Amino acid sequence: MTSRERVLAVFAGQTPDTVPIVPVVDGYFAPKVIGRRNDECFIEGGCIAAALAAAMEKFGYDGAVVEPGLGPHPSVLGCPVEIEGQDVPVVVDTIIEGPEDLEKIKLPDPWADGKMEPVKQLVEAAGKDHFIIGSVRSPFEYAATVRGLVGFMTDFYKDPDFVHALIEAVAPATQTVGMALVEAGVDALVMKDSFASSSMISPDHYREFAFPAEKSAIGALSGVSGSVPVILHICRNSAPIIGEMAATGAAALELDSLVDLAQAREAAGKGVILKGNIDAMSVIEKGTREDVEAAVKQAIDAAREGGRFILSTGDSVPLDAPGENMAALVEFGRKYGAY
Amino acid sequence: MTDLMDKFESAIIAGDSDLSADLADEIVCEKTATPDDIFHHLSDAMEAVGSKYETGEYFIPEMLRSAEAVEHAMKVLEPYLFGQERTQSGVIVMGTVKGDIHNIGKNIIVSALRASGYEVQDLGVNVSTEKFINAVKDTNADILMLSAFTTSTKPALLDIIAELKEQGLRDKVKVVSGGASHSLEFAREVGVDAFARDVKSTLAVCRELLA
Repeated sequence: MTSRERVLAVFAGQTPDTVPIVPVVDGYFAPKVIGRRNDECFIEGGCIAAALAAAMEKFGYDGAVVEPGLGPHPSVLGCPVEIEGQDVPVVVDTIIEGPEDLEKIKLPDPWADGKMEPVKQLVEAAGKDHFIIGSVRSPFEYAATVRGLVGFMTDFYKDPDFVHALIEAVAPATQTVGMALVEAGVDALVMKDSFASSSMISPDHYREFAFPAEKSAIGALSGVSGSVPVILHICRNSAPIIGEMAATGAAALELDSLVDLAQAREAAGKGVILKGNIDAMSVIEKGTREDVEAAVKQAIDAAREGGRFILSTGDSVPLDAPGENMAALVEFGRKYGAY
Repeated sequence: MTDLMDKFESAIIAGDSDLSADLADEIVCEKTATPDDIFHHLSDAMEAVGSKYETGEYFIPEMLRSAEAVEHAMKVLEPYLFGQERTQSGVIVMGTVKGDIHNIGKNIIVSALRASGYEVQDLGVNVSTEKFINAVKDTNADILMLSAFTTSTKPALLDIIAELKEQGLRDKVKVVSGGASHSLEFAREVGVDAFARDVKSTLAVCRELLA
């Protein structure tokens, strides 16, 4: 099987030859594989595509995650973004203080200014044999970005109606970007909703604000012609909300190291794919080769049954993660992952 | 007075901004509480909030709700507190280091520190070394508190420490770093005087350093 076939088999409900390995390698770790700076790769679309493809080639894992570029005037829904000199793009100003500011939200045009070039180039360079995942933010995450996380979470109690209105106002952005990624040829989407984690908000607030938006967005993206599977990513502790995450209709749940995969399987049911959950910081960045082996074996043993599992890191591989540990992730993933 | 201060503490813990401000007004009207009394109860309230977060009863929105209650109360209390004698005080310059934009923990800690009587200059997020150093000099800060959520902020932290030494300030200000990913090992590697991971430990560290 090629890498792509391996992952496609899992999404098709078939058992692959071995557990696929798709760590969360994005613009944080990949640029140094080709000797480039992170900010260079966020500015030059070709750079990030080359970096992601090179990382897959070097370490031998099965897929990569790519997001649209930011173009020459970087912003997120009208919030200016600073790239130069940063390890990741930084939103430097928020634009929403209250309901009267909703009209300031600028819904994205992902096809303008060459923003989809990184995606198209990666699909062309590596998409024949590797599984390409397009990354899109959830409406909840977009809302937090334009409001600022402190203001947004303070509003949960002060003005919940405004929170709902804001999420509704930004929801089209998720749909637009998601559909553009599908059109650009990705094999799946990952919807990032990290602020919805139970490490940040209560399960009650997740159910009130984040879950409805996720379900609606995933339903909309899954319902279009030519749609691809949607992976729902909530990092850190998502254990209390696994059942709801599965109820969003996501094809797969990307889970972090604080979640017990066996318990997650029980809560999510057998139908949904689990992707995870090697600790990107403690194991991949800071751990020994033995730590990587132990974590990989534990994850595979806990979740491989039925073929509904993709080995991954729980979150983005850090900038300073040693290449040896990435190689070990794949080495032990292959060693313990054969079906 | 004790009953009033207990109710005040409870209002802060519950995150009731209106009630906190009303009770702060009563405290000011009664004129019997000293600044130390008030800061002691505010500090206890924020430590209780921190404990609830650790046990999983409170999450970030609940902590922010209590932090806002502190801000509302402080607006009422400040004129009463200004110029009165206090046993505990100090000037703290705080910010999230360059390359890091996490601000929730920082904002909650700022409220807790102000609630405890410290004068806090909050420089925001993604703060350059130069901005930190200038603020330390301008305020004659007792403590420089550096919020650093991820371990990739190590170069920024090392740069700040090096610049403090370069400018002859290292012995004049205590440096505390903090963030969820911090450890004793990490703190030693970057050369700070102390580290803290949450509200409770931050308040304890500040009390100890300025004792």
